[in-house]
Amino acid sequence: MKIVTFNQKEISQIGLEFDELIPDKIYQWEKKDFEKYEVPIGNSRFPLRDYFDVDVEGSAESPADVKIIINGDLTRVKYIGSAMSAGEIVANSSVDLHCGSEMSGGEIIVNGDAESYAGREMTGGLLTIKGNTREFCGASYIGDWRGMTGGTIMIHGNAGKQLGECLTGGEIYVRGDCDILAGIHMTKGYIQIDGDVTRWPGGQMQGGSIVINGKLSRLLEGFIDSEIVKNPEVSGKQLAGKYIKYTGDIARNGKGNLYLDAEKNRNFL
Amino acid sequence: MGYEEPITDYDYKVDNCTCAFCGCNCDDLVYLVKGGEVKGEIKDGVVVSGYIDGGHVIGVRHACRLGASKVMEDMDQRLLVPMIRDEKGNLVETDWDTALDKAAELIANAVRPVFYGWSETSIETMHYGLELGELVGAVLDNQATICHGPSLQAVQNAGYPVMTLGECKNRADMIVYTGNNAMNSHPRHLGRYSTFPRGYFRKRGRFDRTLVTMDPRYTDTAKMSDIWVGFEQNGDYEFYNAMRAVLRGKKLEKDIISGIPKEDIEELVEEMKKVQFGALFFGLGLTHTLSKQRNIDIAINLVQDLNKFSKWNLIPMRGHFNVNGFNIFMAMEQGFPYGVDFARGYPRYMNGETNTIDLLTREEPDVFLVIAADPGAHFPSGANRHLANIPVIQIDIHWGPSTELADIVLPGSFIAVEAAGTSYRMDGVPIYMKKAISRPKTTRDDEWIVNELLKRVQKIKGIKPTVAGK
Amino acid sequence: MEYILKNGIVYDPTNNVDGEKKDVMFKDGKIVDTVSPDAKEIDVTDKLVMPAGVDPHSHIAGPKLVVGRLYRPEDSRRGIVPKKGVTRAETGFSIPSCPATGYRYSRMGYGTVVEAAMPPLEAKHTHEEINIIPNLDIAPLPLFGNNWFTLEYAKEGNIDDLSAFISYWLRLVKGYGIKIVNPCGGEAWGWGMNVHGLDDPAPYFDVTAREVITALAKANEKLALPHSIHLHPNDLGHPGNYETTLDSMKLVKGISKNSPVRNQTVHMTHIQYHSYAGTNWRDFKSAAPDVAKFVNNNDHVTCDVGQITLDETTTMTADGPMEFDLHQLNGLKWANKDIELETASGIVPFIYSGRNSVHSVQWAIGLEMFLLVNNPWQIFLTTDSPNAGPFIRYPRVISWLMSNKRRTEMIENREVHKAVEKKSTLATIDREYDFNEIATISRAAPAKAYSFTDRGHLGIGANADIAVYNIKPNEIDPSIEYEVIEKEFGNAAYTIKDGRILVKDGEVVKVVPSRTLWTNVNGIEAEEEAVIKKIMPSFNKYYTIKFENYKVHDHFVPRPMAVNVQAGKAAK
Repeated sequence: MKIVTFNQKEISQIGLEFDELIPDKIYQWEKKDFEKYEVPIGNSRFPLRDYFDVDVEGSAESPADVKIIINGDLTRVKYIGSAMSAGEIVANSSVDLHCGSEMSGGEIIVNGDAESYAGREMTGGLLTIKGNTREFCGASYIGDWRGMTGGTIMIHGNAGKQLGECLTGGEIYVRGDCDILAGIHMTKGYIQIDGDVTRWPGGQMQGGSIVINGKLSRLLEGFIDSEIVKNPEVSGKQLAGKYIKYTGDIARNGKGNLYLDAEKNRNFL
Repeated sequence: MGYEEPITDYDYKVDNCTCAFCGCNCDDLVYLVKGGEVKGEIKDGVVVSGYIDGGHVIGVRHACRLGASKVMEDMDQRLLVPMIRDEKGNLVETDWDTALDKAAELIANAVRPVFYGWSETSIETMHYGLELGELVGAVLDNQATICHGPSLQAVQNAGYPVMTLGECKNRADMIVYTGNNAMNSHPRHLGRYSTFPRGYFRKRGRFDRTLVTMDPRYTDTAKMSDIWVGFEQNGDYEFYNAMRAVLRGKKLEKDIISGIPKEDIEELVEEMKKVQFGALFFGLGLTHTLSKQRNIDIAINLVQDLNKFSKWNLIPMRGHFNVNGFNIFMAMEQGFPYGVDFARGYPRYMNGETNTIDLLTREEPDVFLVIAADPGAHFPSGANRHLANIPVIQIDIHWGPSTELADIVLPGSFIAVEAAGTSYRMDGVPIYMKKAISRPKTTRDDEWIVNELLKRVQKIKGIKPTVAGK
Repeated sequence: MEYILKNGIVYDPTNNVDGEKKDVMFKDGKIVDTVSPDAKEIDVTDKLVMPAGVDPHSHIAGPKLVVGRLYRPEDSRRGIVPKKGVTRAETGFSIPSCPATGYRYSRMGYGTVVEAAMPPLEAKHTHEEINIIPNLDIAPLPLFGNNWFTLEYAKEGNIDDLSAFISYWLRLVKGYGIKIVNPCGGEAWGWGMNVHGLDDPAPYFDVTAREVITALAKANEKLALPHSIHLHPNDLGHPGNYETTLDSMKLVKGISKNSPVRNQTVHMTHIQYHSYAGTNWRDFKSAAPDVAKFVNNNDHVTCDVGQITLDETTTMTADGPMEFDLHQLNGLKWANKDIELETASGIVPFIYSGRNSVHSVQWAIGLEMFLLVNNPWQIFLTTDSPNAGPFIRYPRVISWLMSNKRRTEMIENREVHKAVEKKSTLATIDREYDFNEIATISRAAPAKAYSFTDRGHLGIGANADIAVYNIKPNEIDPSIEYEVIEKEFGNAAYTIKDGRILVKDGEVVKVVPSRTLWTNVNGIEAEEEAVIKKIMPSFNKYYTIKFENYKVHDHFVPRPMAVNVQAGKAAK
């Protein structure tokens, strides 16, 4: 096991890009390699040592043996764990854009908030965000109809707009509330929101499931065939309680399912 | 507005000039020019080639109020000389070399430079700008970032069934304006392209067409429409979703959707299915309400669905005369339409990361070049606050709020009046806009200014000048 | 500057050089038969030397392309290469950015490309892109098949005025020849409809594809244009369309050609998409043997294939109704662009997969066409880029053509669907192309079809457009070493254009601006003027742009290469 610890020295106003500092690329690096390394900032590269002290303990045979711990204020550090396939990253702060984007394996834990695009186009692995996240969490790259295809995103706080846009697989859990258009254009996969949801979840969804355990403010006309189901099993998960089940979005000939907690959403009955 | 006497005291006419105001790019303007000397050919008082040196445009025929007032000179607001802000914070006149060298130095040493604007200048100027941007690793962005950016995002998700404006003029029997008030923003749009003109298959013009406005406001366009659908604010997405559901044969359950009775929605969908050729024009009313790009997304999908029953196309109502041009230009040069970041030596396009407003509110840029745009007037205050803190280089023709933020001012020339150049109309039709008169002697062409910046930055970086994009 | 390419194995079908070991010399951009002792020597001993490639049909510049790039950032992102040396950054896989287009053609050893569809109204846009694409000579073909003036003249049978109109318009928009796309179908798409077959009239205009194709072919030969009509016939991609294809080819049989260079009076483009039998996608099968038989018996026809490469690509064509059908089929984002009075067009992303039976049979039909047409001078290498696959797949197509082993492998390993065996004859054909035939279908024959006498061969006086590949033709067995063939044809050892070395060892080492090839018809200026006078009232009434602003100004064509033609007199 190799433990790489980044301790922040200096904050850069212009974002640092950490896409090269993932277990896949650094599992053989020693302390001197980090000292030599120049990190992309804006249109240039600057010595990483000006911004972070890096300590390396132990050794690793493969990326899976690596644990990266990043301490400090990371609200200007982008692409943490982007495209990683194995290993573990713990960010002890709120993080900037694209955290865990395109990751295919391993685990990221964010002990804070995550900016937009967290877990974009994930294909595997686990991304845990202890705080809130903003827009396009678990989304596709703009223009692509294939979004996140695998893996799991756990959000302990609230999620922003267009959560799981174009979701084509994988699971997203939100403990808190969620903004508009969760699961828009989704075709497969599973989204569960425990808090309240503002307007229009599942806009133009074609498949997959969205479960809302909180209160929903407005539902689209494209959701039809409502029925009450008790303790349903959705995507292999056993839910407890009474749910209103919809099929939609019929505006796009969709066959997705939307489950609303029946108790909290009596106005839809 | 009272009656105004027609202008008769002009010396020369220049025909078929292109209006450099909105995305209509009307190319039938006649400039009435007084004074000066013709450098070129003249026939019956009409300048048929070349331009008028030292002439002044004192009148414009065929243009709308907006176009005419822009084309006719207002010298009192014109930027005429290069300026640099001194230690006391005053803009003081300087010579071109000093101003350009200072600007080039700032650009060459920047870590996160942003080049913003471009929508009111020519494609020819953009070529140099892009080369400079690629050289220093800048972010290039245009006004789409604050206007039709969501439309482009929606296009990228849903598709782009468009036409040229002539298709609408010749064929359309239903015109829909949604989320825009063309009568005020694009005054000749209805008259020249969509509703009133007599087309090949619509010989009686207005009488052969149904005009529909979908807008929460009862706008001037709505007032002249046959049908006005005043859905509730922020209700766009739900309204279009209901229309699509009806189109798929669904009976609506709610009585009122987004403020519109369900019977009206069903009737409207029926009407839209029955027409021969429908044209939908959408504006910022759709792009900037709650669901932003998703409103356009679903409107595009609606148009696609309608094509199973009849023929429908759409066009975004682009604002500046060359805002579409920049998107087209960037797409052909580097594959992405706007907000393109060259920081890592290859283009990156990521909405929310590489767009001007996001960068400014994150306080990242350290040098800001603004050309043919007015962020001072249009940007949110958070973004402008950062602009006040960093060096701003302005290339423009008029004094505006951005000049107050600028540290270096480089006065350009007026494309389509004082300089020729290419622009792209809202429907993508390219037009070569001609030069009618000479520019004020102390100013320079945009093309020249940006090329000079490029050459000077190349010199600082020790790079041999190469041939520009073309 | 003088050069001598030493000891290469040269394939130059135009001059009957079939794998001879010889030197190729050039001076000041032209091939010469002798150079001074100062000439710079480039050792290419035993390596494959050919004229630089000539692509007869590709979509690389213009409004369709830009819509594609604009609305498919996910495709642009797929081909990203950072800037390096003399090259700028590249983007795009199926629809590369303009600089990437030039670099990638150069790396494959190509020097000339025909941009196959230019809407005249937006010709300026096409020319702008041509100016940004480096390292090529580009000939754009303006679309005439659904032009309202063409429709009117065809209906009247007024070939004289039609000829004058075309001659004038080619000069106005700087085009090379006549492109026809789904004649009458494009106009019908103005109403969301299509036409089927040659005798289904366009709504309101009451003129048929039969009349339009005939009229344009007659006008083409009357003017003695360097290229024949370039026909994308009706019913693209419909099962059972081969009959329309055969009818279209028969249609022009009686029209005599007026050219000393080319043999054909009609060029049938992406013939793969037009060689389908059956009545629906279930009983859909190959009609390539029938179409190939006709081509074999008729030398007034040339065709290019439009080979499916089984990639995720972007389909884009002026055939608007076809693209809408495609969108209905795959549900992916649909773009459409109708151009007033002139044409329609559409774009849809498409994923061709070997697991899909229809796509696999389409793949087989393309290869059948290559292998069943006997004369390589009648069939050209294309993928109708990017429709059937991006042009960077040409090397792969070449490897398929040269290796029956590879084709059999693909069928047997189920890299393609088993339907290939049932619905096409591909598995029964064991023909393999040799290097001379490859040089013919990708260089010599396309050049001949366009009457390009200055390129596509290595004769004295030709442009020094040369490609050298790291393949030793006398040692390699392409049938077995198909992977080497694919790799090396994609990474030229040298690409030389007008005597300048642009690519060395697969890397672009020099970037030069492209030139525009266009046809300037002389001698009927008076007729042209009369026609323009006649059509001007309609032009002013129905176009939304002034005539003065319609034309392509010289500003957009800074490096023109005009082919001067005397109307009616075939040029030498």
